[in-house]
Amino acid sequence: MSATATVDPVTAPLAEAAAGMAARLARVTVEVRPRGAREGRGGLGGAVGAGVVWHPDGLVLTNAHVARGEVLVVLSDGRPRPARLVARDPRRDLAALVIDGHDLPTAEIGDSSALRVGELLLAVGNPYGLVRALSAGLVHAAGDRFIQADLRLAPGNSGGPLADARGRVVGLNAMVVGGLAVAVPSNVARRFVGEQLRT
Amino acid sequence: MEALLSLSNDLAGAVERTAPVLVTVQARRHVPSTGIHWRPGVVVTADHTVRRDEDIVVVTADGRSLRAALAGRDPGSDLAVLRVEGLGSATATLGDDAALRVGHMALALGYGPRVSWGVISAIGPRWRSWRGGEIDRLIRLDLVLYPGFSGGPLVDGSGRVVGMNTSGLARESRLAVPMTTVGRVADELLRTGRVARGYLGIGMQPVRLPDPLRAQLGLAGDTGLMVVTVETDGPAARAGVLLGDVLVALDGTAVSDLDDVQAHLGGQRIGTTIAATVVRAGARAELSITVGERPRRGA
Repeated sequence: MSATATVDPVTAPLAEAAAGMAARLARVTVEVRPRGAREGRGGLGGAVGAGVVWHPDGLVLTNAHVARGEVLVVLSDGRPRPARLVARDPRRDLAALVIDGHDLPTAEIGDSSALRVGELLLAVGNPYGLVRALSAGLVHAAGDRFIQADLRLAPGNSGGPLADARGRVVGLNAMVVGGLAVAVPSNVARRFVGEQLRT
Repeated sequence: MEALLSLSNDLAGAVERTAPVLVTVQARRHVPSTGIHWRPGVVVTADHTVRRDEDIVVVTADGRSLRAALAGRDPGSDLAVLRVEGLGSATATLGDDAALRVGHMALALGYGPRVSWGVISAIGPRWRSWRGGEIDRLIRLDLVLYPGFSGGPLVDGSGRVVGMNTSGLARESRLAVPMTTVGRVADELLRTGRVARGYLGIGMQPVRLPDPLRAQLGLAGDTGLMVVTVETDGPAARAGVLLGDVLVALDGTAVSDLDDVQAHLGGQRIGTTIAATVVRAGARAELSITVGERPRRGA
């Protein structure tokens, strides 16, 4: 018996593109866990949040509410790295962590001020301890201080990347308000990094 | 990646093209609702969000506050029509709601503009809302209607307005009133200020008819409608309907639920007589009711 699968010329490339994007984003997404927490991968109670590799030499950005106390960063290849908290701003809900490393896969950072309402968005994080789960949605409303997205997030998405259809990181997911995902815009994060890490 | 990018651009483009026809409707306390600039000078919105008949203000997409006059409302289809002077030239580009299929991507828009994305989750035939309105097509949505989204447009994949979203017609699910219905009802409201519906002036509850009684009286259905309230001096009271009568047929057609009854009470029946068959004290009785017009809210 042979089954013939028909490939839709429109939705098939769409599905392929989305899958490719998810894989690319997963590579630059890290787990952020409290140090001393259970070392086992996955499962509930593992990850408390996510982060984005911002610089190939070990700079990771996450939310301030995720980086409380001593944390451990788990890279996409599964290697855990102790992290040093170098900057934290609860007002903007941002924190910068430094881990040992170089040539780490790094996110391409987009311009959050160029976002259009209705544009597609992809989020990667660790909701409910699932490692690097993808959510898709779109820009619900865009502002200077935060981005609202029509996209389902869960605890564990915090600090993870929100990316546009080109895979550029345009925000860091921070919270859910009234069913909407709220993210810190990439331009705010960029400014934070510039201010805090001037050398 | 190209496929994703072109979808993204299409979605954002659809929002940008529709945004100029969105208005904020301020006709209730707290959260305003959304309206659609449907035809020049005419805004349609969800009736349940228009909580007052006067002091209604709409705010245009470019931020101007304008006074709106309520031209009419139809709670049955959850539609209110406003006349507004000074709106911009952009009116809604309408799509074909009959062409919608389950699985089609759709956008719901709210004033701002704000947007919600999802799919058409079910399509059904003509149905009657719990408030008695005739809706040409059931359009059920798998997307979130955020606060203030009721009254806003449902936009199809090609960026056209195919419905008006509302959370006011079903408790558990999000629906859109197809633009076919919006157009038909809005035309009637603009012409006469109301959508007339027939009225009997009784409250009823379905009851099972015992088999021996059905056999004895030759009744077609196994369910009837027991009269549990009778409006004093209403059409049914004047025809002699009594509390406890069980309505089994109208114009010789068996009725077993309120939908069946509503189907006999279109606006064109007002002032005509309808033959009602009731079971009273174990016997059939035939009554002739002159259909009245359902009083309007607050009237």
